[in-house]
Amino acid sequence: MEEFQNHGEISLAHFGVLFLDELPEFKKNTLEVLRGPLEDRNVTISRVNSTLTYPANFMLIASMNPCPCGFYGTDDNKCNCSENAISRYIGQISGPLLDRIDLHIEVKPVEYKKISSDEKEESSKTIRERVNKAREIQLKRYENLNIYSNSELTPALIEKFCKLDVSCKQVLKKAFEALDLSGRAYGRILKVARTIADLDGKENIEQSHILEAIQYRSLDRKYWKRG
Amino acid sequence: MLSKIKSMSLEGLNGYLVEIQTDVSGGLPSFDIVGLPDIRVKEAKERVRTSIKNSKVEFPNRKIVVNLSPADKRKEGTFFDLPIAIGILIAINEIKKDILKDFDSTIFLGELSLDGTINRINGILPMCIEAQDLGIKRVVIPKENAIEASIIKNLEIVPVENLKEVIDYLRGEIKITNEFSEISMDLKKENYYNLDFSEVKGQETAKRALEIAAARST
Repeated sequence: MEEFQNHGEISLAHFGVLFLDELPEFKKNTLEVLRGPLEDRNVTISRVNSTLTYPANFMLIASMNPCPCGFYGTDDNKCNCSENAISRYIGQISGPLLDRIDLHIEVKPVEYKKISSDEKEESSKTIRERVNKAREIQLKRYENLNIYSNSELTPALIEKFCKLDVSCKQVLKKAFEALDLSGRAYGRILKVARTIADLDGKENIEQSHILEAIQYRSLDRKYWKRG
Repeated sequence: MLSKIKSMSLEGLNGYLVEIQTDVSGGLPSFDIVGLPDIRVKEAKERVRTSIKNSKVEFPNRKIVVNLSPADKRKEGTFFDLPIAIGILIAINEIKKDILKDFDSTIFLGELSLDGTINRINGILPMCIEAQDLGIKRVVIPKENAIEASIIKNLEIVPVENLKEVIDYLRGEIKITNEFSEISMDLKKENYYNLDFSEVKGQETAKRALEIAAARST
């Protein structure tokens, strides 16, 4: 029986997190349709009888291996996948989709010394306090704008709230040229930098904030744009 | 005789008002539902017939036509069971509309079991929000949905458990109050998780990225 109205996963994740593990294992066209909702924060489904729009303001978190065997890019070069297989695997994630993901990170194996150490790691409580504080700053800043967080900033608002000084602008300019970034990436880097500054409790975006934000954009150089 | 009952339906995440028109007249015994019902709405026939019988009311052996208006919108879901049953009972004069005050400003929603039990339904919140916006005064809904619906103020919520109870209520024999009306949802409650970031050794970058994401940059 075909259901006429059914919300998909991204609407169920409204104001929440959608976590896709092993991203390249999803069908390519399934992943590509995420692009619209990621920008618009809602999803429109057209059927024979009507067109329905569901809210889909969600945070996408995804994880993947760099190649089918999972070892490509590690320091000891254990990977035995062919160049072709790696390209195909990584190519499942298209440039435009990757461009809409703000924070790219590489999760490296943890060394034995670290796992076995008694060193105390930061607790969830401490992190939560920092996050809550940053969220409160944002709530207050956007009080009269009908938005809640940095993620919802429109280009005009980015210009207003993510002002950069001369040195920050220079850093960003260099990064743009070196990393071959897109126009979309520009706004997204500024939003991330704004958030990092909020976590830091700073009124203005500083050079360290912008540098950290850029750093989360550089992973595709290693995997997607292999020479 | 013809009866008209108010109910709601969903289009995406928006509720809209549906009028359930029921006509019971002479002719060969039949039971039809029109107004673009999907298979779940069509199956209401069997649930309605049996639950009315099991609520100690004789089901009319006549020609029954139910129209869900606006008839050009697809209706789906099982929440029309209760309003269709009430529509039939009014059409055969088992229930009279004038006993309950503001009957015409009352919405009925609920799925019936064969024994007359009323089961919980999906989408109660958008439908109640729309009902409130339309100036509806009262909603008769499954008891299991009452807490959810109680978030909406300015709406009298009548939580019901079975069809017999609804019949008695509409006949003025019993009163039903919403025991959940004082419950306010504690949305600021802190969740407790078994896992803690302090258990994750190393992976500082990953943890930092999650922190930035949680602080809403993405």
